[in-house]
Amino acid sequence: MRLSKALFVISFWLCVSMHAQNKQLLYDFTEIPQSLMINPGAQVDFKWYAGVPTVSGLSFQAGSSGISAFDLFANDGLDINDKLRDRVLNGMTARDELSGTYQLELLNVGFRGKDPNMFYSFGIYNEGDAIGYWFEDYAILAIDGNADQLSKRFDLGDLKTRGEMMNVFHFGANKIVNRKLTVGARAKIYSSIFDFNSTRNKGFFVTRPGQNNLLSSTFNADMQWRTSGINAIKDGNSEETLGNTIFKRGFFGGNLGLGVDLGFTYKTNDQTTFTGSLLDLGLIYHSNDVENYTLNGDITTEGVEVILPDALSNPNLDFWQDLVDDIEEVIPFENNFDSYVTFRPTKLNASLRYNWGEQSLGAADCDCGPNASGSNRAPKYLNGIGGQIYMINRPRGPQTALTAFYIRRFGNIMALKATYTVDKFSYTNVGLGINLQAGPVNLYFLADNLLAYQNLIDSQYLSFQLGLNIISWGKK
Amino acid sequence: MKIKSKFFLCVVVFLSILSSCVEDVDFNQFENIAATPTYEAGILYLEAPEDVINLVSGTSVFSQNFNFDAFSSDVFANRVIDGTITYVVENTTSKELEITVEFLDEADTILDTEVFSIDPEPTAIIQREIAYGASGRSIEIIKSLSTIRVVAENLGDNSSTSNLENPIITLKSSGKFRVELIK
Repeated sequence: MRLSKALFVISFWLCVSMHAQNKQLLYDFTEIPQSLMINPGAQVDFKWYAGVPTVSGLSFQAGSSGISAFDLFANDGLDINDKLRDRVLNGMTARDELSGTYQLELLNVGFRGKDPNMFYSFGIYNEGDAIGYWFEDYAILAIDGNADQLSKRFDLGDLKTRGEMMNVFHFGANKIVNRKLTVGARAKIYSSIFDFNSTRNKGFFVTRPGQNNLLSSTFNADMQWRTSGINAIKDGNSEETLGNTIFKRGFFGGNLGLGVDLGFTYKTNDQTTFTGSLLDLGLIYHSNDVENYTLNGDITTEGVEVILPDALSNPNLDFWQDLVDDIEEVIPFENNFDSYVTFRPTKLNASLRYNWGEQSLGAADCDCGPNASGSNRAPKYLNGIGGQIYMINRPRGPQTALTAFYIRRFGNIMALKATYTVDKFSYTNVGLGINLQAGPVNLYFLADNLLAYQNLIDSQYLSFQLGLNIISWGKK
Repeated sequence: MKIKSKFFLCVVVFLSILSSCVEDVDFNQFENIAATPTYEAGILYLEAPEDVINLVSGTSVFSQNFNFDAFSSDVFANRVIDGTITYVVENTTSKELEITVEFLDEADTILDTEVFSIDPEPTAIIQREIAYGASGRSIEIIKSLSTIRVVAENLGDNSSTSNLENPIITLKSSGKFRVELIK
């Protein structure tokens, strides 16, 4: 297989596997320090924690609302082109999306302040996020063409995509207001490495019976493709300094933005807890290494038109070149270097949990090792059950996921969380997370859509998160 | 001992998760993906009113070469497989006319010729589809097309006029071609 085709296969598998940024397993899993990253108002009882750099938090999510790679590449004896037509061209719509995200924590530290009701955390993580909706009418044009489809308007708005990579520098404060309420906020500085977006395209292409000639073609476009940092990445790649370029742009050498996370935990009674968080309420101002492309205009052509006697007036007229020039003048493809603002994909989480069962024992009573002995670790109920909602703002409007979960604690050394999630990607998404505490060492692994592991390549959604932390609850 | 058994349980759980399967797939099928869309558009429209024809002495009403590089551009010529060109010639003038369409390459060598002899009004319409490619004339004609020459000859007189309103002769044409978008 040629390299380009191999890359296509891999990227297709990745792309069709991309998914939104839901972290339903981590949310409100307060044994894990990283739960503060998706609810700064989470109720945590750590004295301090420190993530092991680069391995304290790694998350990757992948999924598709359309098809899986298996749908196309299964060794089933069917012609690939028939499958492409049936399952992609006829099976997907412009609302199907290919999207994904990853996060890699570079630094994550938290500590309790002099005021024991205050907990602070700070760090840096690298994040990549991309979404592309299925460009339905472009695909029809590319696979079928426009022949024999008179008057069908091919929607140029089907090109709707955005993506970015950045480093995020954050500082969060978590305050226990009273026995019932804990609130938190996290300030963020975004250092954008690169960004591309083309989400507000309008226009159409249509072929109709002509007024003079047999056919007329109309192209109406109001399209824009905005980029920042892409040229620097390309230059870095060609000059073999890509690593330096990414590092520099990720540490305030690119474009900057500001954002905030907000969250709370409220105990309606001893056993019932309500939580909520709003993440990435922020924006990035792109002014460094910006290059935008536009295609704006409206033209209808029926081909070269020669109408006598006017055409005889200048026998040297180049009708074809005139036609090409007219098109380029009326509907120019241009670039500019104008600054622009992008808003972060804001996320909303909320949960309601009911806890019951014997409360877990303090660390002094477990077999956790010497460091846990006599700690301030708060007792917790052995069982918790509840529901979560997740929403994210996307170019075609908000997306929602609903999750039911059950959490079970085994002393202070292990906790399991099982989830069942319904969203536009899957109705069979069962996830399982495990948190292990061996003395001060905390290890967690969360995996989603476990049923898909029966056949990974047939999965429309995969997700995992893992991390390694050192945690202290302090001495009594 | 208790912690060891729990740790063992965890290991078993996660090894089970990780021991996933990938059913039989064949990514080499990608080699067989073919995208051969068919595109169509108008090519050339020519219109000559009867009064202009009557002004010309002799039989040669019109003879003109039109630069037409659309088909010989690499983006098209390297990918076109086959297709058809459709002509519709309509004559509402009072005279018999002959329209000749010639395709020429860059060296002005004639690659293809199509002649339309058309009667006077009221019933003079010719529609003709010329196929290029495997089931027609050589597709190389299309790939090499650089100039379209149109010659119109008056086979009638220079004085009569049609009773129809706005008598003209028109040549309409469109192309429909299949191209290999993914090779």
